Amino acid sequence: MALLVLPACLLVLGLLVGPMIVLFRISLNQFNPTQLMIEAFSFDNYVRAAADPYYQEIILTTLGMALLCTALTLVIAFPAAYWLGRLESRWKSLVVIATLFPLLVGNVVRSAGWMALFDREGLINATLRGVHLIGEPLTLMYTPKAVVFGVVAVVLPYMILTIAAVIESIPRDLEDAAANLGASDLKTFWRVVLPLSVPGVAAGSILVFVLCMNTYATAVLLGGPRFKMMAPAIFDQFVRGNNWPMGATLAFMLLAVTMSFTVFGSIAFARHYSAR
Amino acid sequence: MISRRHFLSASMGAAAAFASNSPHARAEANQVIVGTWGGDYAQLLSDLIDKPLLAPQGIEVLQDVANADPRKTKLLAERQSRRGSMDVACLSDSDAYIIAGMNAFEAVDGKKVPRLDKVFAELRTETAIPHIYSAQVILYNVNQVKTPPASYADLWDPKWRGKVGLADILYLQNTLAAALAGGGGVSNFDPAEQKLMELRSLDVKLYPSNETLASALKSEEVWLTVMWLARGFMWKKAGIPLSHVVPKEGAASIIFEASVPRNARNKEGGFAYLGAMLDPKAQAAFADKMGYVPTVSDAVLPEDIASQIALSEADRAKLLKPDYKYQTERSQRTLDFWNKQFKG
Repeated sequence: MALLVLPACLLVLGLLVGPMIVLFRISLNQFNPTQLMIEAFSFDNYVRAAADPYYQEIILTTLGMALLCTALTLVIAFPAAYWLGRLESRWKSLVVIATLFPLLVGNVVRSAGWMALFDREGLINATLRGVHLIGEPLTLMYTPKAVVFGVVAVVLPYMILTIAAVIESIPRDLEDAAANLGASDLKTFWRVVLPLSVPGVAAGSILVFVLCMNTYATAVLLGGPRFKMMAPAIFDQFVRGNNWPMGATLAFMLLAVTMSFTVFGSIAFARHYSAR
Repeated sequence: MISRRHFLSASMGAAAAFASNSPHARAEANQVIVGTWGGDYAQLLSDLIDKPLLAPQGIEVLQDVANADPRKTKLLAERQSRRGSMDVACLSDSDAYIIAGMNAFEAVDGKKVPRLDKVFAELRTETAIPHIYSAQVILYNVNQVKTPPASYADLWDPKWRGKVGLADILYLQNTLAAALAGGGGVSNFDPAEQKLMELRSLDVKLYPSNETLASALKSEEVWLTVMWLARGFMWKKAGIPLSHVVPKEGAASIIFEASVPRNARNKEGGFAYLGAMLDPKAQAAFADKMGYVPTVSDAVLPEDIASQIALSEADRAKLLKPDYKYQTERSQRTLDFWNKQFKG
């Protein structure tokens, strides 16, 4: 039976772990503008990046955006997931496909559409000006709000489908029993549905949080050049600066922060609900 | 249910597809893989060079379309490999300088590219052919700007507060413009740092790409920018009411070059491609469509096109060629300042 996992393990080892080891080795090298990379074995890049207020701010911005977007996504996704999980209709598979549909459109294409929507001459401003609600166009593009909107829209299907799968497995009888015992809808949700759906909430939140931490296209296209998150900063170092050692260092810092929060979040979820 | 016959035919098909990608099969087909930008540039290469000039020689051209940054990264990543993925790499002069410095390109000479003797001497390098070039100028909206600025320094006039827009991807060129405005030059970017901070306090607008900058110029969100004359020509053709000024400090040149990587699989085909890129008719057609000036002396431009995209004799005399060594050595400081201070 153990052999069944071999192909997957080999794939991950070959295409993820292998390049990660190479990337980590690169992060220990030194950058030189003319030679680009000089062989070294030093943690200087890590020390410099961690001590640089610029990167500290970017990490905090990335973390804040990821947490905010995850929370917003959860709040928006849960009702939809509940409805989908409880849906008993022959159209259910079509609804699932419709939920998945946004994922079929690439991030860049989707962001380009939003640019047409949010632009000064875009649909929103044109409509508001057309009905004389505003005189001057609103600044919607290149703002953190636009990024939050964009990111939440991108990750919403992941959260909905993950939670819906768990809600589907919660017997409806439990809700009926709670109602029979006099619990209000709100109380039933709070004391029965929510605690039982925690595995889905935890899995969906972790998945969405990881995706938000690695946001690139949405941050660049909707946030504009002044809005900085970690993925664009890594791209900057690798591609614009040709500074692979620093790019690799930032990539590992992002990985470390994402993994720390994911692991601590998972442990906190597990502890909180095993104690109840 | 997959039958044995189906399985065998699918396997053989896959094997044939694999074999067609092998170097041997590629050599037989005499394919040349050209790493190029997409859009109009790729289309014009196809229409003016690939089909009319290379196909009759039995050379099939495949385009590997990407922005310069991924192409540069690919060249760097592959430079230790015996076989690279491109036979021709198109890059800007600044990018090509960096990659050439890593010994990743073959030398170019008159034997490999016979038309090299027609190339303007000041545009030649040891490892590339200059395909097209343009100059960095000030573009302004003719409806909004009645008295256009005469120099880069004039863009710092408070009357243009909030009306100057810059493309983030051109950080190096914008830094050079700021250096020139502050009394610096191609070999002295020091004054740029103070000037950029002053521009920031004048509410300069930043856009992630040239296309988003064009959109802002069209909507009149901004009225002035620093840009290639060729881009201005294309944007004018697209209906944006623009005109240009060659700044008093001088216009810096941008040259788009092509090289053959040292690990190219079809070097002969690559050099044949480089030669075709210097064809005078193709060069004139690039000028007509994209506004970039030919790099060979025997390409003749129609009067009306030449007047819009070429510099006057006096301006040509002031054309500033980047100091590649200086700007490469300073590259990390330039990028860090742009990101951390100017945009920060």
